[in-house]
Amino acid sequence: MHEYSLACEIFETVIETADKNKAIAVNSITLEIGGLTHVSPEQLLFCLDVLSRNSIAEGAKVNVNFVPPSGECECGYRGDAGVPDKLRDEDQPSLYEYAIQTCPVCGKLLQLLGGDELMIRTIDIEI
Amino acid sequence: MLMHVVNVNKDVLKANNEIAQSNRKLLIRNRVFTMNIMGAIGSGKTTLIEEAINALGDRYRIAVIAGDVVAEMDASRFEKLGVKTVAANTGRECHLDAKLVERSLADLDLKNIDILFIENVGNLICPVDYKLGERVRVVIVSVSEGDDTVLKHPMIFKSSDLAIVNKVDISEAVDADPAKMKADIKQLKPSIPVLLTSKNDRISIDRWIEYIESYIEE
Repeated sequence: MHEYSLACEIFETVIETADKNKAIAVNSITLEIGGLTHVSPEQLLFCLDVLSRNSIAEGAKVNVNFVPPSGECECGYRGDAGVPDKLRDEDQPSLYEYAIQTCPVCGKLLQLLGGDELMIRTIDIEI
Repeated sequence: MLMHVVNVNKDVLKANNEIAQSNRKLLIRNRVFTMNIMGAIGSGKTTLIEEAINALGDRYRIAVIAGDVVAEMDASRFEKLGVKTVAANTGRECHLDAKLVERSLADLDLKNIDILFIENVGNLICPVDYKLGERVRVVIVSVSEGDDTVLKHPMIFKSSDLAIVNKVDISEAVDADPAKMKADIKQLKPSIPVLLTSKNDRISIDRWIEYIESYIEE
């Protein structure tokens, strides 16, 4: 969907950062994607790969860390909107599973906090 | 040769939110009440905005930012009703973003507008991630999209302030249960008001108009 335009912004930041630091190569880029965004990591990585060709960032490894949203409840509970037990660590919970997360203390629907970010955390360069 | 890790810590999505925030301030300063109308293609966004213009046009000065990928068909429908309309063509994007709205706001005389409708591009996914500076987010879903649509697209309902289940008069023909759709929306966000509407049911349209006015009077 809008992964291409997001990839463009990420790519521009990577190139600007590399230039500013007089880099000769970009080794890796670390991104954080919030669990509530509609960003598809596979599409984003594909777009970044295409954009990076013939640039200083060609072949850079892109690490993606997923950030689960946290949840808050009127009963006072505050914590991670936990990954349901049936899901293994490497699986991202679906938006629906997050959307219906209930409070582990009182069972009410959790108010979700955060999880809407797409962060460029670090860029690993050679100088 | 030296390896060097540069901490960037830039949030690509939140960059949009900053522009949205400045749009919001500009709109508040000029006392423009702004609604972001979201929904799939064919859900009835244009029709419900038209109904609001017809009902409120005498009392309020109304303008519309009509988002579309390329065409200006919706924009011309609003212009026919005599309201100032800006066609915001996204070109290839699937949603309006705050920058596009900022540009569109520059084409409007904000001092002479009471209500601004922003008709988003027709889809239930991408508009969720992009705030525009609106005061109220409205999601419209029609029964013809299928009564499982709500649970397939939970985040747009969670992020909205008002939900409308539209075209309820054809529910039987499309084998959809509007009561289920309303219950699904309430399950996702118990506090959200849900209106069941049909352009053929004047009472339901009046409820929509009353909602808009209740926000303005707040």
